[in-house]
Amino acid sequence: MIVSIKDKVRWLRQELFEMFLQAKQGHPGSVLSQVEITAVLYYGDVVKYQRGKPDDPERDIVIVSKGHSTMGLYPILADLDFFSREEIQKYGTGDGILRIFGNLSIPGIEATTGSLGHGQGVGAGFALAAKRDLSNQKTFVIISEGEMYEGSVWETALFASQQKLDNLILILDRNHKIILGDTEDLVKLSPIDEKWESFGWETHKVDGHSIEELQKVFKEVDNCNGKPKIIIADTVKGKGCSIMEHKPEWHYWQGMTEEQIEQTRKELKEK
Amino acid sequence: MKFQRDILIDKIYEMALKDKDIYFISADLGAPALDRLRDDLPEQFIHAGISEQNMIDVAAGLALSGKKVYVYAMGPFITLRCLEQLKCSLAQMNLPVTVISVGLGLGYADAGPTHYITEDFACLRAIVNFEVYTPSDLSTVVELAELINKKPALRVLRLDRNAVEDIHTQGMSVDTGFVELKKGKQIGILSCGYVLQRILNNWAEVTNGLDIGLVDVFRNKPLNLDGLKPIFEKYKKIITVEEQCLSGGFGSSILEAISDLGMNNPVKRLGLEDRYYFENGGREYLLNTFGLSNQQLKDTIKSIS
Repeated sequence: MIVSIKDKVRWLRQELFEMFLQAKQGHPGSVLSQVEITAVLYYGDVVKYQRGKPDDPERDIVIVSKGHSTMGLYPILADLDFFSREEIQKYGTGDGILRIFGNLSIPGIEATTGSLGHGQGVGAGFALAAKRDLSNQKTFVIISEGEMYEGSVWETALFASQQKLDNLILILDRNHKIILGDTEDLVKLSPIDEKWESFGWETHKVDGHSIEELQKVFKEVDNCNGKPKIIIADTVKGKGCSIMEHKPEWHYWQGMTEEQIEQTRKELKEK
Repeated sequence: MKFQRDILIDKIYEMALKDKDIYFISADLGAPALDRLRDDLPEQFIHAGISEQNMIDVAAGLALSGKKVYVYAMGPFITLRCLEQLKCSLAQMNLPVTVISVGLGLGYADAGPTHYITEDFACLRAIVNFEVYTPSDLSTVVELAELINKKPALRVLRLDRNAVEDIHTQGMSVDTGFVELKKGKQIGILSCGYVLQRILNNWAEVTNGLDIGLVDVFRNKPLNLDGLKPIFEKYKKIITVEEQCLSGGFGSSILEAISDLGMNNPVKRLGLEDRYYFENGGREYLLNTFGLSNQQLKDTIKSIS
């Protein structure tokens, strides 16, 4: 399974890079830092879904709260036959259904996001409905580090804890960067784990690029202990592309020379 | 005299008894009628804490799960405080959630401008997909509750904080979006909410024997343009009265409607002066002092006659 997920991770990064090249816009830094997370969620037997049935009532819910990286799901959703694979080639164009920021019109996208700090609360609503309906449905929400600056996140932190939403799992893509630099330099966030723990959340820290660690932690959070979960996944912004890694400016697509494109393609093929 | 919120919550309670998918969320605002709902239907009631942003986001998630959600809080905090959530989580996904905003205009007197809602009309009607209602009495609230149950949609109900009278006759329908309460000639006053009741209560003094019409435009968005056209044809001159600062408010919406219909009725807008109100003295004192006295309405009628 791990070998297969590794293959999926490599394929995803290659696929996503080609989508950026084609659209010449978007947010590669944040998309590339979450690749292992999404690959394990969908290919690691974590999220429940039915191939070809994005509206299956028995499915789990996945929300990418940092809407600028929702496009990271598109190749996966096409691979699950939620929509035609041809749509990938039309990403970000007037003819296609796949938008630069994800929204509800796209099969498999469960919430319209883009403005930071909403996905957690919407996810809490899904999780609360499931609890009260005595359903086993889980809600996974991928959030960015920058989102933690939004006050609404902490409102949800209180609420989900009070409501004992142990079926709500946040995955924090901690890539240490926001647009103007490092989070710890700009407005310090640490200790992140202690903050969430003090709000009553089951808190885990993992290497967000380790398939093994991610698989292990998703098994651990599969419990009914009455606590909402947060997985703090330590990641690298722009992971996999040496031109982008650790560079805050690559939050947004910067354009590349032919030489850089070939170099990046080579790197992504080898990894 | 009864409270609009109690009337509404009693209706929601009746519907919720039969429909387990009805959820009611409060950001710490109560009501006598709410006590019964909380006691009898704890699985359908949620206390959100004083966290309006999260409340709206949670409502979106519940609605996406198929729930019929009512969110309830003091007006200033369930509107402008969480305008971003109303836009991003409810309006952009066009979810069938009912936002119950309590405290029109200066209804929370003498709490001051943090608790007054004198700019919400302009803000709410600017948000795409929202239907905006300002029911002026109790019957309209009952009818709106039925409408919400039959035709789920994204709506905001702007309710008064205080007890109000029932002014519409039995059998009123919310479908038209307005009711011509007083039939007149030449001059028509258009209003909604508490200030409409106030005009009605002072009708003889305000009109001074003149043949003036009064229209309760309780559905503010979308305005019923086809329905209002005969009103604008009948009343050549229009006065709008609102418990709002005027920028983008009720009067502006009527001006837009007249323009969109290709008509050219002269319109005088009466509302609150464009400032914040730190003065005390009660709602009536403030309304009388800062733009909405009977004398000001009489002067406006005189100036347009």
